[in-house]
Amino acid sequence: MKLLWKLLREHLSVPQLCGFFMANLCGMWIVMLGIQFYTDLAPMFTRDDGFFGANYIVVSKRISTAATLSGAGQEFIDDEVEELASQPFAQAVGRFSSSQYKVTATMGMKGSPGFGTELFFEAVPDSFVEVSGRDWLFDPQQRTVPVILPRSYLALYNFGFAASRGLPKISDAMASQIEMHILIHAQGNNEAFKGRVIGFSSRINTILVPLSFLEWSNAKYEPGKDDTPTRLIARVGNPTDEAIMKYMDSRGYEVEDNRLEAGKATYFLRIVVTLVTGIGILVCILSFYILMLSVYLLVQKNTRKLQNLLLIGYTPARVSLPYQLLTLMVNIGVFLLAIVLLLPLRAWYMKMISLVFPQVHGGSVWSAVVVGAVILVVVTLFNFVAIRRKVDGLKHG
Amino acid sequence: MQTIRLNRLLPHVFLERKDSLQSDVWLQDLTLSRGKSYLVEAMSGTGKSSLCAYLIGYRNDFDGQILFDDTDASRLTTAQWTQLRVQTFAYLFQELRLFPELTALENIEIKNRLTQHKSAAWIDQAFERLGIAEKRHTKIGRMSFGQQQRVAFIRAMVQPADFILLDEPVSHLDDANAQAMAQLLTEEQQVSGAAVIVTSIGKHLPIHYDHTLHL
Repeated sequence: MKLLWKLLREHLSVPQLCGFFMANLCGMWIVMLGIQFYTDLAPMFTRDDGFFGANYIVVSKRISTAATLSGAGQEFIDDEVEELASQPFAQAVGRFSSSQYKVTATMGMKGSPGFGTELFFEAVPDSFVEVSGRDWLFDPQQRTVPVILPRSYLALYNFGFAASRGLPKISDAMASQIEMHILIHAQGNNEAFKGRVIGFSSRINTILVPLSFLEWSNAKYEPGKDDTPTRLIARVGNPTDEAIMKYMDSRGYEVEDNRLEAGKATYFLRIVVTLVTGIGILVCILSFYILMLSVYLLVQKNTRKLQNLLLIGYTPARVSLPYQLLTLMVNIGVFLLAIVLLLPLRAWYMKMISLVFPQVHGGSVWSAVVVGAVILVVVTLFNFVAIRRKVDGLKHG
Repeated sequence: MQTIRLNRLLPHVFLERKDSLQSDVWLQDLTLSRGKSYLVEAMSGTGKSSLCAYLIGYRNDFDGQILFDDTDASRLTTAQWTQLRVQTFAYLFQELRLFPELTALENIEIKNRLTQHKSAAWIDQAFERLGIAEKRHTKIGRMSFGQQQRVAFIRAMVQPADFILLDEPVSHLDDANAQAMAQLLTEEQQVSGAAVIVTSIGKHLPIHYDHTLHL
C-alpha cells in the first residue's frame, strides 16, 4: 500500500483538494446548521405545555359591537353545549366555570416584594387537565389552592415587573417558588388562601383552579348565584379539521388557538430551513464535482501507471483504494470540522435566543450530526463508485 | 494451465493482408504446451507484441480464438484476468512498463508483495547474478535500458507461472548478461515446469528451444 501510494500520489493537486475541502465543508456546515437551527427553535413553537394535550380547543362566542349593544349574552346554554358535543369531531366537551366572588391576589418570588391585583378564577372538569390527581387536589382544610397561570403572566412578570424592579427572572422550573396569597372577598368577609402555582399554560388563557375548589368556594361565598359558562373546552380528534372551522363559523363561535400562530411560525421556520438546507446540499453537490474533476484529472495523468499496475496483476479495486481512502479521509475531515464549527455558532445563537426566551433550552445536536454523517456516507459512496468506474475504464489500453 | 491454443488467430491490422500472410502463428491452429520452450522469431511490425498483448488480455483486437486449456479467453472476467496475471503468466514487456519514480528494488517489491512468491534473499541474489546489485536502490529513471531490462526480468520471475512470456528480453544486453539471464530462467523453468515463450527480432536469449516459430 505504501509503494502504491508513493506511485499514485504523484500529480495530486493540493490546491484542488483544498478547494474541494472548503466547498464540501461549506455545504455540509450549512446543511448541519440549518438542521440544528430547526431542531433548536421548533420546540419553542410546537411544545406542549404539559397541562393540556394537543387536541383541545377552547370555544367562545364572538364578541361584536352589535351583540354588546343589544345585550345579547355571551353564555352558552345547555342546548348549545349538547349540540357541540354531538358533532362528529368533538370527543368530549366541558364547561368553564368561573368564580362568582371577588378575588385579589399578590404574587412574588420568595423573599422579594410581589405585585397585587384583582383577578378571577376559572375551572374546567378535571378530565381535561393533565395534571396528576394529587397536585390538582383541593382540600378545604388545607386552604391551599393549586393554580395554573397563563404563560403571558410569566412574560408580563419577567419583562415588565421583574425587569423594572431589578428582580430575578422566573423560568418554568421556578413556578413552585412563586408565593401567591389569595384573598376572597364575599358578603363583607375576607378569607385568605395560599396559592400553589404548579405551572404555566400557553394553551388556556385564564387562571385555572381545580373544579372542586371553584364549586366549593362558589357554594360557600356566593350561594345560589347562577354560573353559565362563556367558554367551553372540547377535546377533538384533529384540531386542524376543516369541519371544526366550518361549524364554528356557522354558529358564530370563536376558537382560541394559539397553536395556529405557532403552526404558522413553524411553517415559516421550516421554509427558511428547507431553503438553507437546499443551498447547503447544492454546495455539497458542486463540491463533489470539484473532487470528481480533480480525481479524474489525477487518474488521467496517472493513466499509464494505473494500466501498468493492472497489467502486473493489481485488481481495479486495489488500484482504486488509495484514491478512495484519500476521499474518505478528506470527507471525514470535512465532517469533523463542520461539527467543530457548528458548536460555537450554536452556543452563540442559543445565548441570543435565551435572552428573549429564557425557557428555551434547544434540541439535541444529534440530528445535525446524523444528517452530516449521512452526507459523509453518501458523498463518499459516490466518490468510491466514480473512482472505481474510472479505473475500470482503464482495463483495456 | 497446461495449454494455450491459438485457433486461426489474426490481428485486425492484418485483415487486408490475410491472403498473402505466411506465418507459423497467424491463421494457424497452434497449441503451446506447459514445459516447452518456444522462440517466436519475427521481423519488426509482424505482430509480435500484439501476440503477447492478446495472451495477457491487454488487447482483444483480433479474429479467431484463444483457448486457455478449454476456456475461451474472450469469456474471461476482469477478476479472472487479474488472477492469470498473478498466477499463470509471467510477462516481460518489450517496453518494460517499470515505474520510473520507484527504485529498482521497489519495482520488484510492488509485484512480490502482491504474490509473496520470492524471498528477499532470492531477489538480492538475482540482482547479484544479473550484475545490477549496486543499482538496487537507484531509481529506474536513472538506469540504462539494458539495466532496466534486467529489473523487468526479475519482476517477471517473482510470481508463480505456467507460461513465461519474454518480449525481446535481451535486445539491449551483452552476451554475458544474456547468458546470466538465460541461466536464471532455465533454473526457474526447471522448478516451475512452466513453458517459456521468447520473442526476438534478432538477438536470441541463449536457452534451449523446443520449437521455433516464424511470425
